[in-house]
Amino acid sequence: MKNIRMSFVHLFLIAASFLSLFPFAWMIIGMTNTSSDIVKGKFSFGGHLSANWNKLLDSADLGAAFYNSFLIAILGTVGTLLLSSMAGYGFEVYRSKGKNLLFNVLLLSMMIPFAAVMIPLFRMFSSFGLLNSPFAVILPSITTAFMIFFFLQNTKSFPRELLQAGRVDGLNEWQLFSRIYMPTMKPTYAAAAIITFMNYWNSYLWPLIALQTQDKKTLPLVVSSLASSYNPDYGIVMVAIVLTTLPTLLIFFILQKQFVQGMLGSVK
Amino acid sequence: MGGKTKSSLIGWQFVALPSAIILLFSFYPMVQSLLLSFQSGKGTVYEYVGFANYTRLFSDPVFRQALLNTLLYLIIQVPIMLLLGLVIANFLNIPKLRFKGFYRTAIFLPCVTSLVSYAILFKSIFSIDGIANQMLLNLHLIDEPIAWLMDPVWARIVIILAITWRWTGYNMIFYLSAMQNIDPSVYEAASIDGASKTRQFFRITVPLLKPILLFTAIISTNGTLQLFDEVVNITNGGPGNSTMTISQYIYNLSFVYTPNFGYAATVSYAIVIIVAVLSLIQMKVGGEKR
Amino acid sequence: MKKMLSVSMVAALSAGLLAGCGSNSGSNANSSAEASASSGGSAGAKQKVVAWAWDPSFNGAALKIAEELYQQDHPGFELEIVDMSKTDLEQKLNTNLAAGVKSGLPDIILVNDPNIQKYVTAYPNTFADFTDKVDFSQFSPYKVDALTVDGKVYGVPFDIGVTGMFYRKDYLEQVGFAPQDLENITWDRYIEIGKAVKEKTGKYMSTINPNDEALTSILLQSAGSWYITPENKGNFTNNPVMAETLRVYKAIADSGIAKPVTGWSEFVGSFNAGDVATVVSGVWQIASIMDAKDQSGKWAVAPIPRLNIDGGKNASNEGGSSWFVLDNSNNKDLAIDFLAKTIGGNSTFYERFLTENGGVGSYIPAFSSDAYGQTSEFFGGQAIYKDFTQWSTEVPGISLGMYTQEAKDALKNELPNILNGADLTKSLSSIQKLFEQQVQ
Repeated sequence: MKNIRMSFVHLFLIAASFLSLFPFAWMIIGMTNTSSDIVKGKFSFGGHLSANWNKLLDSADLGAAFYNSFLIAILGTVGTLLLSSMAGYGFEVYRSKGKNLLFNVLLLSMMIPFAAVMIPLFRMFSSFGLLNSPFAVILPSITTAFMIFFFLQNTKSFPRELLQAGRVDGLNEWQLFSRIYMPTMKPTYAAAAIITFMNYWNSYLWPLIALQTQDKKTLPLVVSSLASSYNPDYGIVMVAIVLTTLPTLLIFFILQKQFVQGMLGSVK
Repeated sequence: MGGKTKSSLIGWQFVALPSAIILLFSFYPMVQSLLLSFQSGKGTVYEYVGFANYTRLFSDPVFRQALLNTLLYLIIQVPIMLLLGLVIANFLNIPKLRFKGFYRTAIFLPCVTSLVSYAILFKSIFSIDGIANQMLLNLHLIDEPIAWLMDPVWARIVIILAITWRWTGYNMIFYLSAMQNIDPSVYEAASIDGASKTRQFFRITVPLLKPILLFTAIISTNGTLQLFDEVVNITNGGPGNSTMTISQYIYNLSFVYTPNFGYAATVSYAIVIIVAVLSLIQMKVGGEKR
Repeated sequence: MKKMLSVSMVAALSAGLLAGCGSNSGSNANSSAEASASSGGSAGAKQKVVAWAWDPSFNGAALKIAEELYQQDHPGFELEIVDMSKTDLEQKLNTNLAAGVKSGLPDIILVNDPNIQKYVTAYPNTFADFTDKVDFSQFSPYKVDALTVDGKVYGVPFDIGVTGMFYRKDYLEQVGFAPQDLENITWDRYIEIGKAVKEKTGKYMSTINPNDEALTSILLQSAGSWYITPENKGNFTNNPVMAETLRVYKAIADSGIAKPVTGWSEFVGSFNAGDVATVVSGVWQIASIMDAKDQSGKWAVAPIPRLNIDGGKNASNEGGSSWFVLDNSNNKDLAIDFLAKTIGGNSTFYERFLTENGGVGSYIPAFSSDAYGQTSEFFGGQAIYKDFTQWSTEVPGISLGMYTQEAKDALKNELPNILNGADLTKSLSSIQKLFEQQVQ
């Protein structure tokens, strides 16, 4: 019985993994093919990887783009985790009517389509003199109602006894947050870090508007301008896309261990 | 009493800065855009029109179509995706499961994959002589190829498949991380009492994940109502306007058509109102005591 | 958490170190941008102009040629080209103009022709007037028509999309059609030929994509009409050209000679794979056709079929763009002078643009040059550019108006019904209604 059960689970997960991996495999294969083979949907390895790679290096300054993207994503993620978890913790642990109301108001902010606030936001950053700087990309989403909401919901399952125990040990409220809450919530921070990094890394519309000169552009912008011509070279585009995807995957690999370890260990 | 006020004050210290940032970078522009929704014109040439944009909304067939499409995606796609994500997360949480890391990574991959490549791929899979048709023909499930992206119904189905493909792993991450906060001894106790795995799932996992289920339901509702990328890149709203979403319509009004940012803002506020109402309902159903 | 923080700190630091090489080029670009901001009038010093374009191998490359030519007389001149996709460019431009933020805007931008009137009307006093700066009589009139708003010409004509019917000689010979059988035919004749091709070779005559307005646009302009009138009203009802266009479109769809495709890459794939016998498209399609190197010598190009009504011509246009200068740019005069002396009136520019990038312009004096007379081996020794420029002089001039995209979308919304056999008159009046609803 148990074996049948496990085989079913494996079968299900294999099917899901196959479907998920398929487009990724296609991208990897695409890296080795010419543009016209990609358009024809060729699904076998070709011999054009180095040619595509060299053409990519010739046509884009990837070094600067990688630097800009990393700078924005890392600073943004660290800031978001800190600020959003603070707020999520504050709203849940120190509940009050006023804070509940404020939280509901904040929640409204994630419901408006970005296209609608883009122009006022652009005007605002222009008056701050912050356009064309990484901060123009980092700041608007350095705390989001979305992440605060995520931390708040996870805090609901946070064992409050731990705080009580900490108070007995003489920790002040900020120490409770940094020494007890933060280590206990590792899996939550890990998930939030993956999602936030990914959001910053892939963000497109706002960086496109806010960054003005070629040397400040992030990777997605550079990749998109590669794919922009009337007759794009998809071979180059595929190499660029795979390169763009790797860092998020790397972050995922590093942080996913947190989902396995679970609470045991971190509480101690 | 004094202790309570003190604790409340400390609470405000935690929430003050993050809230101020959101108020500055989200609410200020939102208010600006609300003001804009009472104006109409082209580009930089505007005049105050009162509620004219809002009345226009009710007689706008394209808006009506986009709203219907969006709600259709919402009703069909969100439940399927959330259930699928939850089931997968539950499987991946089986302590003795082998190849966990592989499955987890593979299923998470789609939401990292670049939109450009996945749009090219989905289009080619569902083209007339694409893999989807070839497989169905070989299995004798159909007699002639289906024109997926040219038929309103099939095109919507392709969009639903695409969103589900892309975002299931994303939701799975939230569930998986939340499952780590469940004390394993709860399951051990249930096993000793003889509760089956299915029973444990519904009696233990689901109730304990309720806050996160509510969270994913609200963000998915919000995400679907703002659905843009998939539709623009796979069908570009076609055939006709049968897959067009509200967000695409806002985008067209601002950047594709002769720009009328005033009316675009009005359409945006329609989304805000709908999401706010739906979220409120979800919170009530989700048993949130706020 | 501490560990995580320290990991990210290390990552941030190493990213900073990695950047050492990248930031050099960055700071260079920065300082030159400052130089350009202050350049203004100081003659003799380095003068820099910034331009936005969307295809580095086409319009970007054209700017590079123009820069080289201009530098011969203006050694201090420098041009910075910023590449982005066409949609990105339009979005960025709209946001900047709507927000009234000038700091990030370039001096020169590329504008897709159907957007010309839209930009000029929606953002008044934003684009420089070129009326007296360029001798527009040297350009194909239909191209200048597109650039004219209220009697003023707002830019320099750039590439054109004069259309032709590319066809596979080998397929058509197999069915017994010689090149002269394809010259100056009507669309009904085209469908007949297509049926013969389909029957004898199994190949499709063309592709059809109900989500793309390219074919309807070509048909309309070939008889001097458009989706909207010059007064920016819907042009669907009481318009014989529109009715005939949709009749032909439906006939092609019904005849079974057209392979349905749903996107650009599928469209290109269809002729690169040899699935279709003809491609009716703009002159810029030559590059993608020539991508299939194994098909060299098998292609030829004829004038497009015509609508069988009054004013129907065997010539039309698909796409094309022009260069605008921003009126309050610091380098306005320099940018205007640069464009006027190169793209606006230099035959060498057009000869090199054609030879190096396959780009065709509308500058008439260049048409008699050797470059435009060259023959193409891929097209069996045909002097294709000579033919295309000949047809370009026959393209009817139209006003593209302000609401082209709105009108196209209104049509697209009804097209499935038309193809399913709905009553055309009724469909047209509902398109007209939808359009009027959309542009209030």
